[in-house]
Amino acid sequence: MEKTFYSIFKTFFKVGTLLLGGGYVILPLLQSELVDKKDWIDNEELCEFYALGQSVPGVIAVNMSAFVGYKLLGIRGAIAAMGGIVMPSFIAIVIIARMLDEIVGLKFIQYIFWGVGIGVLMLIFLAVKEMWMKSIVDRYSSWVFFFAFILSACCKVSPGILIVAAIFLGIFRESKRRVDAVKIEDNNEEECL
Amino acid sequence: MILSQLFFEFFHIGLLSFGGGYATLPFLYHIAEFKHWYTAKQLTDMIAVSSITPGPVGINVATFAGFKTAGILGSLVATTSIVLPSFILVLIISRLLEQFKQNKYVRSIIYTLKPTGCALLAAVGVDMFVNNTNVLGMFLLLVLFVLSLIEKRDPLFYLGISAVVGILAGLLGFLG
Repeated sequence: MEKTFYSIFKTFFKVGTLLLGGGYVILPLLQSELVDKKDWIDNEELCEFYALGQSVPGVIAVNMSAFVGYKLLGIRGAIAAMGGIVMPSFIAIVIIARMLDEIVGLKFIQYIFWGVGIGVLMLIFLAVKEMWMKSIVDRYSSWVFFFAFILSACCKVSPGILIVAAIFLGIFRESKRRVDAVKIEDNNEEECL
Repeated sequence: MILSQLFFEFFHIGLLSFGGGYATLPFLYHIAEFKHWYTAKQLTDMIAVSSITPGPVGINVATFAGFKTAGILGSLVATTSIVLPSFILVLIISRLLEQFKQNKYVRSIIYTLKPTGCALLAAVGVDMFVNNTNVLGMFLLLVLFVLSLIEKRDPLFYLGISAVVGILAGLLGFLG
């Protein structure tokens, strides 16, 4: 199949429609559509884009689609892929949003929402667990977690401020590491002398 | 006026939410608390709906929040603003792909952002747990958690079970 704006949009629209229960399933869906059915991209590259999508802020499924779209057809491809992946949820929500207040009023729906609310909480904890295993690897990351958690949960510091602080901390850590590395080199040279 | 506020709020969520999946939730709860565009209860309902409709939860909730605040135009603005930063960043990074992957500063920043994102989401989880979980909810949560330890399944599996339990509990009069 040829890579055109329309065919890329259509493919990602389809994936967007199938994307139920959160963005985690995007990788297998894209594998089946882009690697197996269309042969537009190889699996290795796709996995790399998945990893890259996670290292950019924003919604992972959207980031990944944009990367893949750009790879397929430049800026136009990125726009087509993002539009396609976002459109189904946009349409679904706009339809439901009109009725939400009436729906929520129904007793039966309230029961379902109560249950699904607990299910979502469970998914959040699973996501935390998964992130924890990938991100808390040493003393530094444990301290970062600890302070960010306290500031967010107890002091209600805005998430944006904490993220910006983390970015600066990351830059500071790397600069300090470089300064330390230079110092060690200096010491070594002195010892040599 | 409300549209430019929507643009600002959701652009900054798109730019700063890290860690995917539910990473936008801490920001959305913060909005509920400080902006009063919607309540925390409404947001929890929205998340429930988002989990059973197509699409990434972040996009769904943005569309929802936009709609609640300023109708269909609001949802268009909110959804566009939340994906705009991704679009810009991906365009830049795609051109500098190798430099981006190998840059030590980028790596150090991501290394710091990961535990931060995790902590932010954990704080939301704890907050939700404390504020709207009764004894029955805790029990359901525990059962789901044990199930996930036995075998990891599709998110819809857990949502399906909890929806059924919700209906049963409601019909039996446990939910008031």
